[in-house]
Amino acid sequence: MAATIATPQQPPTPPAPGQPAPPPPARVHRARPARPGLVAMLTPQGTPAKMRALMVFLVMLSLAWGAVGAWVVATHASAADSLARADEAYSTDAQRLYLKIADADVTITTSFLVDSQPVAPAADRPSTLAARQQFDQDIQDAGNYLALLKNSNSDPRFTAAVATIASGLPRYVGAVTVAEAQYTQGITPTGDSEMEVASEEAHLTLLPAARTIYQFENDAVLASSAEATSLPAIILAAGLALIGVVLLVLGQRWLGRRTRRVFNRGLVIATVALVVSAAWLCVAFGLARSDMSTAIGQGANPAQALAQASIKVQQIRGDSILNVIARSGSTSLPADARARAKEVGPGPGSLLDAASTSGNPKVASALAKTIAAAPAWYAVNDKGYQLGDKYQYADEQASVLNTAGTGYATVQDGIKRALAAALGTFNSAASSGASAYGQLEALIIIASLLMAGASAWGLSRRLAEYR
Amino acid sequence: MPDTGKAASVSPGPVKEDGSGLLLPLMQQWAAAYQGQVQGVTVQVDGGGSTKGINDASSGAVDLGASDAYLSSGDVLKNPTLLNIPLVVSAQSVIYNLPGLKSRQPGISAAGLHVQLSGSLLAAMYSGAITMWNDSHIQALNGDLVLPAIKIAPLHRKSGSGDTFLFTSYLSTQDYNWNKQVGYGTQVVWPDLRTAQAPDGSAPMIAQCAQTPGCVGYNGVSYLSQELSKGLGEAALQNGGGHFTAPTPKTIQAEVNKFVAITPPNETIAMIAGPGGDTYPLVNCEYAIVSTHQPSAATAKQLRDFLTWVITAGNAGSFVNSVNFQPLPPDLRKLSATQIGLIR
Repeated sequence: MAATIATPQQPPTPPAPGQPAPPPPARVHRARPARPGLVAMLTPQGTPAKMRALMVFLVMLSLAWGAVGAWVVATHASAADSLARADEAYSTDAQRLYLKIADADVTITTSFLVDSQPVAPAADRPSTLAARQQFDQDIQDAGNYLALLKNSNSDPRFTAAVATIASGLPRYVGAVTVAEAQYTQGITPTGDSEMEVASEEAHLTLLPAARTIYQFENDAVLASSAEATSLPAIILAAGLALIGVVLLVLGQRWLGRRTRRVFNRGLVIATVALVVSAAWLCVAFGLARSDMSTAIGQGANPAQALAQASIKVQQIRGDSILNVIARSGSTSLPADARARAKEVGPGPGSLLDAASTSGNPKVASALAKTIAAAPAWYAVNDKGYQLGDKYQYADEQASVLNTAGTGYATVQDGIKRALAAALGTFNSAASSGASAYGQLEALIIIASLLMAGASAWGLSRRLAEYR
Repeated sequence: MPDTGKAASVSPGPVKEDGSGLLLPLMQQWAAAYQGQVQGVTVQVDGGGSTKGINDASSGAVDLGASDAYLSSGDVLKNPTLLNIPLVVSAQSVIYNLPGLKSRQPGISAAGLHVQLSGSLLAAMYSGAITMWNDSHIQALNGDLVLPAIKIAPLHRKSGSGDTFLFTSYLSTQDYNWNKQVGYGTQVVWPDLRTAQAPDGSAPMIAQCAQTPGCVGYNGVSYLSQELSKGLGEAALQNGGGHFTAPTPKTIQAEVNKFVAITPPNETIAMIAGPGGDTYPLVNCEYAIVSTHQPSAATAKQLRDFLTWVITAGNAGSFVNSVNFQPLPPDLRKLSATQIGLIR
């Protein structure tokens, strides 16, 4: 194939001020080395074509930035919002559901153990009305929490747990009512046996189901926490923004060499829009992540540890009371209680230690009394079990209901106050973190449209000079 | 009724049972009759007491544990697969050895007499507050009887026992101080009395009481004929309505019927000192303690078949009358059948 010699193509001379732009030079066809067909088809031929290609590319880059940036903001904002307004609230409700059921059981069992036993000759039987009212309130509260939680998760295991509690609560209340009727008639052993049935329903059916619900809600908190603070998406967005800036600058330089103009206004506007929106995104993410880290580290994490501690403390208390009723001599209840006490702490790796060393001074302060009182309470519980092992039931009952009851109240009170402090920290920081994104999503979309428009406008003007 | 063909074609091994001494005589009859009716099935029975029955059923050492008491919550929480299935209705009698006891009414033999005792009186006798049989408090309840002036020798079971659970439950219900100071359970800390004795088992309880004039003890009604043959007496106990009744088929059934309507699906229920005029206050179910989870379908079926037979054909008068037990009321039998169906 013969080669045609052509003069090198010169960039068009800019028009003098006040002069119309000269017509573009006539195109000179020149021979090129043969290229593979597809590459040749896709490779722009000549400056205008390259400018058109650059324009299309920058418009697409702008729109891609808008899509990716908005997606990143939406994802993080949604996770932060979900964490702040829904997941942690559900988790707290699930913990309260558990505690209400456990509290109902402890309240009514304790009352019957104390107030419904045979009375001294000529003495009046103590009233159980207040305990029954508290029990009814706990059950009603548990039902309300269940109603709030029932649609929060579609996992079949979650819905099965909800159904278990929904059907089990009336059965449990029924057993308690039968027990109460027997106590009222002075048929104490039957009242006790019915209370065993009721407590077994609580311990074997209701509370495990409530634990399942809590576990699901807690897992949702952890998932949202991870999503709200995850780095890969923001790295992707920042990388895209960086590439965009580099390409815009390179495009500017390439254009400058061909037009002898240092700046193309459209590309400058696009670059500024990209830099501002990307910087805003990074700053917002940094602020949100900082707030979320505080919310999680000093709020959600200690709250989770404290919720579990509260549940286990309630289990320890429930076991010791059940042992008084059961008079079983079984080693399962004290063994379980000791294992749970070790999990609660204080001690290395325990829940109380995890909460008190979370960096939240309010939590640590609220837990001080609990940490000091817990070992003594465990010792009193052990003493109760030992009395039961020796068949000294009256002494066991006195120990469990009086001394251990006081210790339980101290330990649980501190945990509740610490939990409130942790949730306060969480709510404050998480709300702040969730609001850090503000209208950023809309801003990025506007910025991307501005980039696309400015790029197209800037390059169109240069292209017009070639017509 | 059991599917004898299928049960015979699979050989999951013998049905092993131990536990309640109170149920043992009847369980032996059931085993012999069932083996005679169903080819290829062996039922091995043993006593050892209710605590042993619960523990062995819990550990899997036996297929069935027999217990006079329902499972405690501790046992249930430790092993939630365990069921307590009532097989038959029993009662407990309070026995005594009172030579010289006679009626003030002429022409009434001592053999037909029942000393009337309340839970409070028994608590006072077991705690040492009343030491003589002719104490005025006992005499006040037994105006028609001439009580001998001999010391009271309280007998209680040495080791864990469903009998002790029932007896102390009755005392706790009836006496404030007993409930506060001793309470109830399969074992309790008995008041430390010089005259007290602790035989280890139902048969030793009879033997020791027969050797000890002035004794008072407790035993299942299945031992009544042995007790009467040794010259021991059986007390009429004060029920929840304040009346004194002896353990007869009518009074035992009347007591059970008071509790049928409130028996929960797992049949954990104490039937002590219920209300009413004609009820005997110390009644209980004899329970089979069995796991819902069996090692094989064949074993599960064999157990279901045997237990179903026990609560139907095994509840016939020809079996239960010989040991003074009562058949399950129809509603309890339904609940037991439902529980038996859970064995898999």
